[in-house]
Amino acid sequence: MEQITDNERYPTLSDDGRRMLRFLREHPNAPIYRNQSGNRLTAQDLERVRAFEKSEGNIPVKWSPSALPTWVRTFVEKCMNDVPFYRRYGSIPDHFEDLPTISRADLGRDIAVFVPDSLSIERLINFRTSGTTGHPLLIASHPEVAAKYLVFHKRALKRFGIELLNGRGKVGVVLIGYQRKCFTYVSVTPSMDESGLAKINLYPTDWRNTDDRAKYLDALDPEVYTGDPISFEILADLPLKKYPRAIISTSMSMSEALSRRLRNRFGCPVLDIYSMNEAGPIAVADSSVGGHVLLQPHMYVEILDPDGRKVPMGQRGEVTLTGGFNFCLPLLRYRTGDFAALRHSAREPVLVGLEGRPPVRFRTMNGEWINNIEVTHALHKFPIPRFALHQKSDGSLQLKMHGARRYQRAVIGALKELFGDGQPLKLETFRDNDEKVIQYTSEMPGD
Amino acid sequence: MKEMGPPIEQLTHRLSETPPDFLDEPKIGQTGRIHVDAVVNDLLQNLGMAPDAEHLDRFRGSSAFEDRNRLSIVLLLCWLLHDEWFQKASLDINDIWSLLYIEADALADQVAAGKFVSDPDRREELARLSLARVGLCPEGESETQAQDRLTSLSSRERARVLAAARAAEERAREIREKLARKAAEESADKWTRE
Repeated sequence: MEQITDNERYPTLSDDGRRMLRFLREHPNAPIYRNQSGNRLTAQDLERVRAFEKSEGNIPVKWSPSALPTWVRTFVEKCMNDVPFYRRYGSIPDHFEDLPTISRADLGRDIAVFVPDSLSIERLINFRTSGTTGHPLLIASHPEVAAKYLVFHKRALKRFGIELLNGRGKVGVVLIGYQRKCFTYVSVTPSMDESGLAKINLYPTDWRNTDDRAKYLDALDPEVYTGDPISFEILADLPLKKYPRAIISTSMSMSEALSRRLRNRFGCPVLDIYSMNEAGPIAVADSSVGGHVLLQPHMYVEILDPDGRKVPMGQRGEVTLTGGFNFCLPLLRYRTGDFAALRHSAREPVLVGLEGRPPVRFRTMNGEWINNIEVTHALHKFPIPRFALHQKSDGSLQLKMHGARRYQRAVIGALKELFGDGQPLKLETFRDNDEKVIQYTSEMPGD
Repeated sequence: MKEMGPPIEQLTHRLSETPPDFLDEPKIGQTGRIHVDAVVNDLLQNLGMAPDAEHLDRFRGSSAFEDRNRLSIVLLLCWLLHDEWFQKASLDINDIWSLLYIEADALADQVAAGKFVSDPDRREELARLSLARVGLCPEGESETQAQDRLTSLSSRERARVLAAARAAEERAREIREKLARKAAEESADKWTRE
């Protein structure tokens, strides 16, 4: 592991920023911060991030369903000239659709060959993701790329009428987790005039006293909380007096019921952002348009069938990405492993019925096959932070759940209604909060 | 002693005028349009040879990443060998297989197929290589002259490719090391974590 100093972590830190770090770390109710991290942004990086916000923050995300966005051709040429992996494809094809697709497995084999030749690797950083299948993936990135996430968060927040206000002397965001082991640290956000940033773990062992959690968070009074459904469930139960202006979840499995609970509890919008390490924030759910609206003007989205062909407009298939703002990892037809349909409304393209991972078919009691999305719809109304459904080869179901104990009977009822009378179903709970979840699996033959 | 073939200019000119069908996408799985195995079959029949199905299998391809450039080069070689001159010559099918199998494979690792059309040196290299592998010399050249010219063209290119490959491997190694030295979360702040 590389040893770095505070000067490298916070190259532009002012006295006010230093005071903010001290406040976050040394508050009497502060958790046990276990790690250190920083923004690593130089003044030049910051200028570029601000310029990027001015340009990318306001361009509409739109293209004609019958034509490629104009920037794509240039992007393809750059990739095929400058990126070792794509150079192997040979000549640039006349038709974009003739380019091979890539997947997580390609990135996993060797991420180095996806870094453009023209890029200086001096300040390369990485983000590691274990993913739902447990296969770790290392993503090449840069401090500037990490800082640019906020541009798309702001874009998403703006859609819900929120303009971020907290700057110097205030806390902008608290990232919350709820895990036995969690990387925790404090920092400041230079592009928000050094507003405070804290990444904390609500798990009791990270606190001297569990009552400190609410006291500390009230003292910080962050403008935004970000996290996942499990940690939000815990947050909602804390006796907080100060409420955020917005909550951002980056997990696709947040149910409408949990989202509603959080909205009612905190009186603020709850944003469900489709985001991944490989591409950053891609889309935000907006019920008024019936799906997820795209956030990145330079991200082209296709929906492909298993053979890599475009499906007809409105049909479900694999979400496939080209472009993006991570200049260390240009994506050319990256198959995400997530599934949705693409609909072009008058204003913008919308991802409809977004689901992670390949669709799984389940067999009902009358022998009918149903897609996992029907299970999602059936359980949508219950505030379950996490669940996994497995069908065994004999047709019986195993449902694993975390939390939402009082809804167990109703959940079982909803599944039995979907699968039919007499459906055998066994209920289990997750042994471990950190246990990796593949939400839908089946041993049924033919699947 | 090699036999006399057509003038080299005839072949380089032919390559520069490759029709769109031979530049189109090779069919690999469900993508692409041109069935390269069928094109190879046509060529061999045109040359009076009878290919067996097993040999043609190799021109179907299974991975766009692995096979696209190789099959694109095979298409160019087919177009080149469709020249009238070759129809009148008596070629050995083993030489043709060697050209379409081994040479196309080796070239695919080094050069994007399109360059054998757009770049004059690469056009000449492909034309000379094809003649040499089917046992012919360009018209008006001795065997030594032809060999020298081909060696000069291909060794310059090979040296360039080798140097580039070495540099690429060195850079990839540096990137891997650089990434491995960084602790994931120590990297830089994001407002959300995936």
